[in-house]
Amino acid sequence: MTAAIRNLRENPRFLFTRLPNILSFLCIVVGVAWLLLLPLDDNSRRTYISENALLPGQVHAYFTGSEQNIFRGYKQELQALLNEGRETENQETEVEVTPAASNKVHSILQAAGLKVATQKYEYTSAGITHQGENIYGIIHAPRGDATEAIVLVAAWKTADDELNLKGVTLALTLARYFKRWSLWSKDIIFLFTPDSKTGTQAWVDAYHDLHPESVQPLPLKSGALQGAVVIEYPFEHHFQKLHIVYDGVNGQLPNLDLFNTAVAIAGGQMGIGANLQEMWEHNDSYEARLQTMMRGMTKQGLGYATGAHSSFMPYHIDAITLQPKGEGWEDEMALGRTIESMCRSLNNLLEHLHQSFFFYLLMHSNRFVSIGTYLPSAMLIAGNFTIMAIALWMRTGYYPESKPDTPTGEKSKSEKPTKTGAKKIEKETKMNETALPERLMALPLTLVTGLHLLGLVPLWTFNNIFHQYFTTATYIFVVVDIVLPLFLAALLSNGLGVSKPIIPQQYLLIKSFALLLLGLALSTLATLNFSLSFMIGLLCAPLSFIGRLQGPAALRYGVSSLGLVLLNLLSPPMVLLGVCWYTGVSVESVLTQAAFGWDVWGMWTQVVVWCVWWPAWLIGCVQLGSSIF
Amino acid sequence: MISFFRLLQALCLLLLVSLAAAEHTSNWAVLVSTSRFWFNYRHLANVLSLYRTVKRLGIPDSQIILMLPDDMACNPRNAFPGTVYSNADRAVDLYGDNIEVDYRGYEVTVENFIRLLTDRLDEDVPRSKRLGSDAGSNVLVYMTGHGGDQFLKFQDAEEIGAWDLADAFGQMWEKKRYHELLFMIDTCQANTMYTHFYSPNIVATGSSELDQSSYSHHADNDVGVAVIDRWTYYVLEFLETQVTSANSKLNLGDLFDSYDESKIHSQPGVRWDLFPGGEQEGRLRTVVDFFGNVQNVEVENANATEPGSLKEDLAEISRLAEKWRKRGEEYSAILGNSTQSQSENKKSSSVGLAPKKTVGPTKMAEDNSWGKRLYKTLRLLQKAKPAGCHTTEQKALLVPLICSRLVAQKHV
Repeated sequence: MTAAIRNLRENPRFLFTRLPNILSFLCIVVGVAWLLLLPLDDNSRRTYISENALLPGQVHAYFTGSEQNIFRGYKQELQALLNEGRETENQETEVEVTPAASNKVHSILQAAGLKVATQKYEYTSAGITHQGENIYGIIHAPRGDATEAIVLVAAWKTADDELNLKGVTLALTLARYFKRWSLWSKDIIFLFTPDSKTGTQAWVDAYHDLHPESVQPLPLKSGALQGAVVIEYPFEHHFQKLHIVYDGVNGQLPNLDLFNTAVAIAGGQMGIGANLQEMWEHNDSYEARLQTMMRGMTKQGLGYATGAHSSFMPYHIDAITLQPKGEGWEDEMALGRTIESMCRSLNNLLEHLHQSFFFYLLMHSNRFVSIGTYLPSAMLIAGNFTIMAIALWMRTGYYPESKPDTPTGEKSKSEKPTKTGAKKIEKETKMNETALPERLMALPLTLVTGLHLLGLVPLWTFNNIFHQYFTTATYIFVVVDIVLPLFLAALLSNGLGVSKPIIPQQYLLIKSFALLLLGLALSTLATLNFSLSFMIGLLCAPLSFIGRLQGPAALRYGVSSLGLVLLNLLSPPMVLLGVCWYTGVSVESVLTQAAFGWDVWGMWTQVVVWCVWWPAWLIGCVQLGSSIF
Repeated sequence: MISFFRLLQALCLLLLVSLAAAEHTSNWAVLVSTSRFWFNYRHLANVLSLYRTVKRLGIPDSQIILMLPDDMACNPRNAFPGTVYSNADRAVDLYGDNIEVDYRGYEVTVENFIRLLTDRLDEDVPRSKRLGSDAGSNVLVYMTGHGGDQFLKFQDAEEIGAWDLADAFGQMWEKKRYHELLFMIDTCQANTMYTHFYSPNIVATGSSELDQSSYSHHADNDVGVAVIDRWTYYVLEFLETQVTSANSKLNLGDLFDSYDESKIHSQPGVRWDLFPGGEQEGRLRTVVDFFGNVQNVEVENANATEPGSLKEDLAEISRLAEKWRKRGEEYSAILGNSTQSQSENKKSSSVGLAPKKTVGPTKMAEDNSWGKRLYKTLRLLQKAKPAGCHTTEQKALLVPLICSRLVAQKHV
């Protein structure tokens, strides 16, 4: 046994070629298995309220009865104004919020005794101009010290682009109702935005004086924002359950305590069930949990704003959206009471929400895994690249540069190293011991850096061209992705015309550097946006195991061509096309959204795609392509 | 008239006898809440409820040290500004308009608490912030807050350990700052807090054992927080419903027997072993011995016989009185008449020490006798002598003074 181990240890081929392959592969397998094990009872935990101050559901909510009459009155007034607008503009499908309705909101807030202000903004992204006007009113805490505030947001258009008439009306009714309480320790800001995509972003940017020039500054401000709740109610009938949306831009999440508070109040105090991640029927089985988690991870990985609340997250303001869903017997008053109770809980806060988790994956309204449990999954996948990169680096140092028949990481060769083979290699290494292996790093470093910088080109392109051209640009990039690696491979193999032809060691170094960067970037990213790191890691997994092929020309051509085709199916634009085809969403809308995210929300997903994933993929293709030339 | 003096004599005797039983002469209460923040409303309500009870049973504000780290009444979150309630029925506003908070806000620290107990305070610290107890004081120490195994958290910033507390009480004993001490604590794992006490005459009781939480009793849905803790709630229930007046004869045994684990949801503990006579003796202490206010008077060295002691003085006074009486007899013999009252006195003086005390007043009863003159001379003498200089003549005055004070107090 020990002899066998010693043999293996003294076997350089095993150490530098086979072992890293095995380790890398194991990392990936364990990483994926780890994720799949998370929904089990033993690995996930029940949620709990960590912040003592919140005391969710301990207060009686009085929002009922006569307030409903006021709600109906407000709603009728607003509806009349909206209908007016619709008739004149003759738009049946798209209801635009008329200035008259906005003015009404303004005057209702003023009449309720709030300080009211407005803010105009305009954003341009991918050739589309988004403009609008925010209206907001502030209830100053009667006995508080105006250093902290809670925000209640009602957007005229919900995240799904429906008219949120009842939501807006409810917010107005609550504003009038809250104004009469004297127990607020924080100011309460009621924010009415024209839509869920731009309005809150403009407002919250301006609140922190970080707004672009096209956005007006805020004439009226309050203290530090402690939390935000977005109210939606885009239909007329009564609802059954509350859907809690919590994902933020770039996969940032609100403090788990806020989510738990909402679940505790909705479920415990009000008796309304709470859903998440569009899982309308959740039976708490393994499959349902896994599906919920995967949906959460997808949203987190893509990093887009899932509602008006998402814009608050980059400023470390915990925010959620409450969406009534289904047909049931809960009315707007029940939603109002839920929000009242939430505000009372937030009002109890003594400091910013900090006790509970900011990094978590939810799999049920009362079950989650925290970063400590799930992080190893993405870390293992990121680690596989690093292991391979280090192994390649060591291998380039171990083998003499001139050795022509260096095995370069094909996993197909599975014959066990025989004793004679090992001895042979030992002899060879002994012979070459005098010739110190020198790494030729200039070309690999330049190439890797250059290709990473090249990622800026698609990054710029996809964020700056007009939205009509997005589909065309995607197809062009598919073609570029086919041609560019072959071109680069040919160029490298034939010596670029200025230097001598590239040697095998340099191929290994190129791969080493590329994987090193990839591993570094992904493991760092895993701590910030676990899901994105995990997804990119999986998509890049083949890159660890491909390299320049050796052997007879026919086999090389065949295998590398097949490899290139398969690899091209995993290129960023092809993955985009595939996902769009599968989900039935148009490529243009996805890319428009992405460009909007980049321009307005500060979304970083594209940077990761074009400057981490794409260069690594490109280098993998170059390696494989070089076998042809 | 004469029967009245008889009564006085008897009372004086009674006093001397009761002093021999080493009763306490004053009551002090130290009531401490150690937590701040709105969600700890109940801890302040606990303390304020107890404050109200000890005040009801007679301990004056000057003898209550109340430590409140936060101001719930003025918290902006309070739906009922200016009030604190310990019950959801909101029948009694604990904040009322006559509470005196001695240590408030950030003054409530471990250091201040220990300095208060051990009287290691600067000269300029006002009386209201001092525990003025002495060797005759029964002290009630009540603490509530968030605690753990052998510690109690103060204000989220520091904590007092079980040893700190034990040492503080140890020092109090050494400095004769208590006669008997009742320590009560309502916090998680409360019983661990009194495990290290070593000074005598302490009865300690806590709300929960090691690894047990103490729970709140109920919440007020309008205030939005829990308003009182379970153990305190049931202790108060006992005090409020059973100990209805300062004359209550209920003892500590009754109080501790009233603990009902099924209601308190934790196992309260009692520690008797530091008390002389242990549980048997300790159980007999009445509740008002600690929660009420006694009116006993201490006469220093009542039973001592060395020079300068009370017995010595009384003997001296009786000799003096005898001398005066003889002089009076001589005087009256000269005049050739003797009064009936003198013979009465003679009779009573034969019973022992106490009767001699009545000499002064008896003489004063006579209008134009020696007594009145003597009294006046003595008053003059007293004025002439510097204070603190004890002469037999001066001490003679003590007797009627003590007696008259006793009369006054027994009639309160």
